[in-house]
Amino acid sequence: MLEVKNLSAGYGGRAIVRDISFTAAEGEILTLIGPNGSGKSTLLKTLCGALPILAGEIAVDGIPVGRMNRNTFARAVSAMLTERPKTDMMTCRDVVETGRYPYTGTFGLLGKADRAAVEEAMALTDTSELAARPFGELSDGQRQRVLLARAVCREPKVLLLDEPTSYLDLHYKYTFLELLDRLRRERKPAVVMSLHEPELARAISDRVLILGDGMPAGYGDPGELLGRDNLIRQFDLTDALWDKYHG
Amino acid sequence: MKKRIVLSFVLLVCLTLIFVCLSVMAGSASIPLRDLARILTGHGGDDTAAMILLKIRLPRTLAALLLGGALALAGYMLQTFFHNPIAGPFVLGISSGARLMVAASLIAAAQGAIRLSSAILASAAFLGALIAMGAVLLLSSKVRSMSLLIVGGVMIGYICTALTDILVHFADDADIVNLRDWTVGSFSGMKEESLVVCAWIVLAASAAVFLLSKPIGAYQLGESYAQDMGVNIRAVRGAMILLSSLLAGCVAAFAGPVSFVGIAVPFLVKRLLGTAKPLVMIPACFLGGGVFCILSDILARTVVSPGELGISTVTAVLGAPVVLVIMLGRRGDRA
Repeated sequence: MLEVKNLSAGYGGRAIVRDISFTAAEGEILTLIGPNGSGKSTLLKTLCGALPILAGEIAVDGIPVGRMNRNTFARAVSAMLTERPKTDMMTCRDVVETGRYPYTGTFGLLGKADRAAVEEAMALTDTSELAARPFGELSDGQRQRVLLARAVCREPKVLLLDEPTSYLDLHYKYTFLELLDRLRRERKPAVVMSLHEPELARAISDRVLILGDGMPAGYGDPGELLGRDNLIRQFDLTDALWDKYHG
Repeated sequence: MKKRIVLSFVLLVCLTLIFVCLSVMAGSASIPLRDLARILTGHGGDDTAAMILLKIRLPRTLAALLLGGALALAGYMLQTFFHNPIAGPFVLGISSGARLMVAASLIAAAQGAIRLSSAILASAAFLGALIAMGAVLLLSSKVRSMSLLIVGGVMIGYICTALTDILVHFADDADIVNLRDWTVGSFSGMKEESLVVCAWIVLAASAAVFLLSKPIGAYQLGESYAQDMGVNIRAVRGAMILLSSLLAGCVAAFAGPVSFVGIAVPFLVKRLLGTAKPLVMIPACFLGGGVFCILSDILARTVVSPGELGISTVTAVLGAPVVLVIMLGRRGDRA
């Protein structure tokens, strides 16, 4: 269970997102929607712990993240980022294994339980047959699935996904969502993700948070918030423009 | 995978042993294998040969082994730190920075301002390496391109070398002879006391690098991934800067300039192992660097015998082509 209360965050002490509040319970998907530069990535980076909390609170299962040490936090929260990992000479299994890092000892060697978690996550994400392939040679769709397996094998309470469907073709977009849906039912993490496609967000999210210029501009039911009129308003469109391309 | 790693280590250890033996046997007075065995087991043999072996060749070989390992590790860490396969202590000017401070302390000692000891030399080199590293870090925060970082590092190296030359110019005539020797680079002439200090520093720093192999492995993926894995990035970056400066500085203090080892060895070792995992790369790089430098040292003193080549001359001939191969292999990637 992830709770965010009146959160402000940004770079160099300057708030880019302000007054953000939401909750995501076990197995729930909360989707962040908003124009470019509205603060979705900043918010996700803050949730990962990469940016400091300037005001407000983030808590996982009732414990404020500020009170957790790095390793406890890393076990509780894992992220799939937009940035490509640098994977010189790494196979897909190597990449997935890095997800178990917070559970390993001094030399970072995986134990039996770690290996089992890696295999399970790869089976869940349909990446088992890619295990021995070099990560650098994958297609975009395969890469996203391997990175999801990496995030999932940590068995986190909170799973953060930054634009997981960007760069994917239609087939991979839908299979990715299907995967995510299976994941949340089987593993029950609280999922927070950013998406650019309102129709996908409507289909999979339990709740959406709309961001406009760093401030919450709507929070609640996807069906209500992602209707035509609201999207036109939030994304600075016109009726004519919308209708021309939506027939 | 595991088999390949084990075989690689067997190969590296065998090569180390073979080259250590060759290195103590080869030279203007050659010592055959059976004499070598006799001297080492203390069963006499030729006294002159024993002298040459124990007082000259063995220290020189050990110095090449230790400092070669140090150079390869310093290079490996700089490549990891900057995510740049052609970063190294020599091309980034860190060795030159260390040498500048060593020259300054040698001259200060010659003027009677300080009393010279191996510890002082090593400290001066460490300080110089850190100063040059600071300049490189400043540069890397301004330029995003990998090649520009290298060009900038080369410039920093030239500036430090020029300052060193100016210092040498103003030193007394008698000191210059000493300094000129030292500006060529060599593993020879290390006194026992220096060798002991050098061994402590290199072994301790290398052990520390090995203990960091877990966070270094996370850092390799990129900073945001390391962050996600719970790594204290500032601490790891700081440790990598300090340890690579210490290792590179140590080489500059005791052997002078030795080029390209830091880039060529990690690249070759990675190909040999078939993995970039720090847990195996770190010990393998150390052994590989040792082998590379002992081989270079053997060539340096046998090719033009009875004369001797600067160690950098040999390492450049062996190492620079490897760097070219790396650069050509990266054609497709971003510059």
